[in-house]
Amino acid sequence: MTRCLSDDALERVEAELASVAERAHLAGCAACAARHRQIRGELALITGVLRDTPEPGTRPAPARRVRWMPATVGLAAVAAALLIWVEVAVWRAVTPVPPTMQAQEVAAILADVSAALFSVSGDPPATTTPAAIAPAVIAEDAALSLEVMARELDQALTGGAP
Amino acid sequence: MEPAPRQDLLVTAHYGRLQRLCRLLLGDPQEADDVVQDVFLKAHQAERLGQVPANWGAWLTRVAVNGCRDRRRAGGWMRFRLRGAHLDEVPLVALTPAPSDVAISEDTRRRIWIAFRTLPRRQQEVFALRHIEEQSTLAVAAALGLSPGSVKRHLFRAIRALRLRLGDAR
Repeated sequence: MTRCLSDDALERVEAELASVAERAHLAGCAACAARHRQIRGELALITGVLRDTPEPGTRPAPARRVRWMPATVGLAAVAAALLIWVEVAVWRAVTPVPPTMQAQEVAAILADVSAALFSVSGDPPATTTPAAIAPAVIAEDAALSLEVMARELDQALTGGAP
Repeated sequence: MEPAPRQDLLVTAHYGRLQRLCRLLLGDPQEADDVVQDVFLKAHQAERLGQVPANWGAWLTRVAVNGCRDRRRAGGWMRFRLRGAHLDEVPLVALTPAPSDVAISEDTRRRIWIAFRTLPRRQQEVFALRHIEEQSTLAVAAALGLSPGSVKRHLFRAIRALRLRLGDAR
């Protein structure tokens, strides 16, 4: 082997992994021997520090925690805003709302109720038995009652405008 | 087979060495002391039961390394908590530094420790036993339950990683 050894090869020498040819080159090459001595010196330095000096202490740095605080608060605010938006914009859009009645429908229902409960003549319907009332009279009363009630409601809703 | 030594002789001969090794592997002096005490307790039990090892030094090293591994496994959560920690600006304790030590800057020491701690556990063990304990490759292999070839490969990777990290720092 004529070429000088790489750092990798010199480290292999130090780990007893070098080939015979590499070891032979190292034995005969002053430049490689000098680099090998340098590596050994570095390893001796590392070994000396690890053996003779105490390890610097580790503890969680408070400054690091403080740095995380604004980010955490910001994230919480964003999460709260998102929840509110979901409640307002999304949840309400998908929740079924009972449909509002049209005026005509209200009038029709009220007319039906009125027809069922009261008569136009003012006689209390409870005094007459259902069998005593002629069907034609009932129909006429109902029609009149409906007409009157519808007109009254129409006026109430439209304010008397045509 | 070695004759069974008296317990105090065993402690005198190996306590400091095992304490240093355990501190290096665990990075926690208190835990390291606990492990070393466990090691000598096991040695005492082995001696009492007549299970005297052929080589007390190798046996103690092996038990100590295994003890450190158990501690590391048990302390996984603590390591996870401390992962985000960084080295504080704690001045290195050097009551009477040797002249050669003075030449090594504090920054270099810190970088060496950090480089060592970032090595995989196995590489730390091999490097510590091979270079700091100055044990032979065969002894390291026996202590760690590895083949000699595996020890050499771990040592090579450890040396390369340490030099690379310290080279970046220079």
